[in-house]
Amino acid sequence: MILDKLETRQLITLGADGILVRGTYHDVQRNTTESTRAAKKIGVLFLNPLSTPRTLIGDSAVYWASSFAAQGYPSLRIDMPGLGDSYGEVAKDLVTFINNGGFAAVVASKVKEFSERFGLAGVVIYGHCAGATTAVYAASTCKECKGLIITNPYFNAANMLTPKLSPGMVDWARRTTVGEVLRAAYARIREARKKRGNGNLPGNANVHLIAHWKQLVSSGLPILIFKSGEPAALGSSKLRAGAFDYLEHITSLAGHKSRLSLRMIEGTNHSFADRLGRAAIREHAEVWLHKHFPDEAITLARDSIFCELSR
Amino acid sequence: MVQFTQVQQYPESVLAERAGYFPVPGAHLYTVLHAVEAPLARVLLIGSFASERHTSYRPWLQWGRYLAARRIEVLRFDYRGVGESTGVFKEIGFHSWMDDVERLSAWLRKREGDAPLILHGLEMGGILAAKAFHDGEADALVLWSAPVSANKVLRSTLQRWIGPQQLLKQEEDRRPPSHYFRLLEEGQSVEVDGYEWTPQLWSESLSFELPDTMVPPNDPAVSYRRPVRIVQLGKSAAPLVLGGLLNGFEESKDFSWLFAPNYEWIASSLHIPLGAA
Repeated sequence: MILDKLETRQLITLGADGILVRGTYHDVQRNTTESTRAAKKIGVLFLNPLSTPRTLIGDSAVYWASSFAAQGYPSLRIDMPGLGDSYGEVAKDLVTFINNGGFAAVVASKVKEFSERFGLAGVVIYGHCAGATTAVYAASTCKECKGLIITNPYFNAANMLTPKLSPGMVDWARRTTVGEVLRAAYARIREARKKRGNGNLPGNANVHLIAHWKQLVSSGLPILIFKSGEPAALGSSKLRAGAFDYLEHITSLAGHKSRLSLRMIEGTNHSFADRLGRAAIREHAEVWLHKHFPDEAITLARDSIFCELSR
Repeated sequence: MVQFTQVQQYPESVLAERAGYFPVPGAHLYTVLHAVEAPLARVLLIGSFASERHTSYRPWLQWGRYLAARRIEVLRFDYRGVGESTGVFKEIGFHSWMDDVERLSAWLRKREGDAPLILHGLEMGGILAAKAFHDGEADALVLWSAPVSANKVLRSTLQRWIGPQQLLKQEEDRRPPSHYFRLLEEGQSVEVDGYEWTPQLWSESLSFELPDTMVPPNDPAVSYRRPVRIVQLGKSAAPLVLGGLLNGFEESKDFSWLFAPNYEWIASSLHIPLGAA
């Protein structure tokens, strides 16, 4: 009586590498034309950020995965090991673990398995917030990754952001909206006061992550970034003006090969789970997917990019 | 760089977890059966309201694994229209979720091997569990932080949601919770945490309550002559319940202080031997 699959959804476990990861696969709709179905497709892999299960806040990832699948891009939402339905030990300081790329290898392995299991031409990794950090690390080490969609990425090293606060407080600040406002305000004050190191980067930058970013952007990997508006509580004061623009910094390093697109969505919240945020992501991401990965035009160009990265 | 490394050995109880879709009218419920051979008892975990699902998810699942490792079979699920279940949230309400509970408890009871059935409700799930237990669905009942009415759940959810939302809005656009309560009472929908609350949901919540026999000073164990345990969780139980302070490192929080006495109560109330983990 209990089924493991529905018409367009299937509950799966990826475990070829010995690490069991639970997920939900959204197959393409039946009304997709036969000629389209025959072509190898690009899949979308959704990563869960921190402790939020693979549905994401307000079940927004279910909405996006269903929508992308309906557009011809089979999608898989997974829980990282130790989170959601996936079993495993969790690092005590999960934020720092993720900021240091702790899930990168397992995600790269799952991208490969996802691609092989469903006969895909490649995979676009979708990551939100801490999931975006993992997506960046993983993308730079896996040839099956053909693109990135990331929402509200951050570039600070949490442990360097507030060294006088307890790690637990830093963790709290990373996962709550009130914390987001405090964090943003505090980061700006520190950035304004701190002498910049590492070239032009603020002293609290996650240099390792930014190096991976630079590598990806300059390789020509298609990347779509969504940013929600800043909390209005920050006002339009000097705090906003004093913020270091990491995205601009990355874009400036990209070079002529860059295929980075940035969309700012005003009026939504950090999770994009409200009606406005959901619709905006769906609309822009689908246009972006069709532009970069039209069904008939999937090539192995990414392989050459990967070779370049590996050199 | 520290990387996630392969788990040396997965516990048998984890390998026995079976995710699936359970058909109900107009939808399929996402279920995870923590299957156990020759179970000593069975528990249906009836979770918190939609907005609290993602925060309570990990400790709630850990509780399921804790019990399964002790030969108590567990079924957990997502409500119709929520999480991994199908269905459209705005078209669903408390009576549909009550139907989910009744169907799943009936299914669990019919599983092979005779074992007592326990309904365990968390927050809003406590009302659903209590109502099903009141109707004779189970042998024992555990409630963690069950509110007296579903409307109280909606009010507190909206009040928690509104604070952070205010930070995202300009001062002139900020509205107090009473504004949204009034909209619902006037027949308009309100979007909270990505879920569309309809006036019907609001109206239904006003009369969806714990049975009187569960409300102090009544003693439900006396009324029902079946074991009932009612626990009000405090701040230390966050993020299993909201209202407590998040102190950081929520993913690795140890809940054995909560799990152990509740498991021991189940074992002693149903006269089953304490199993080894």
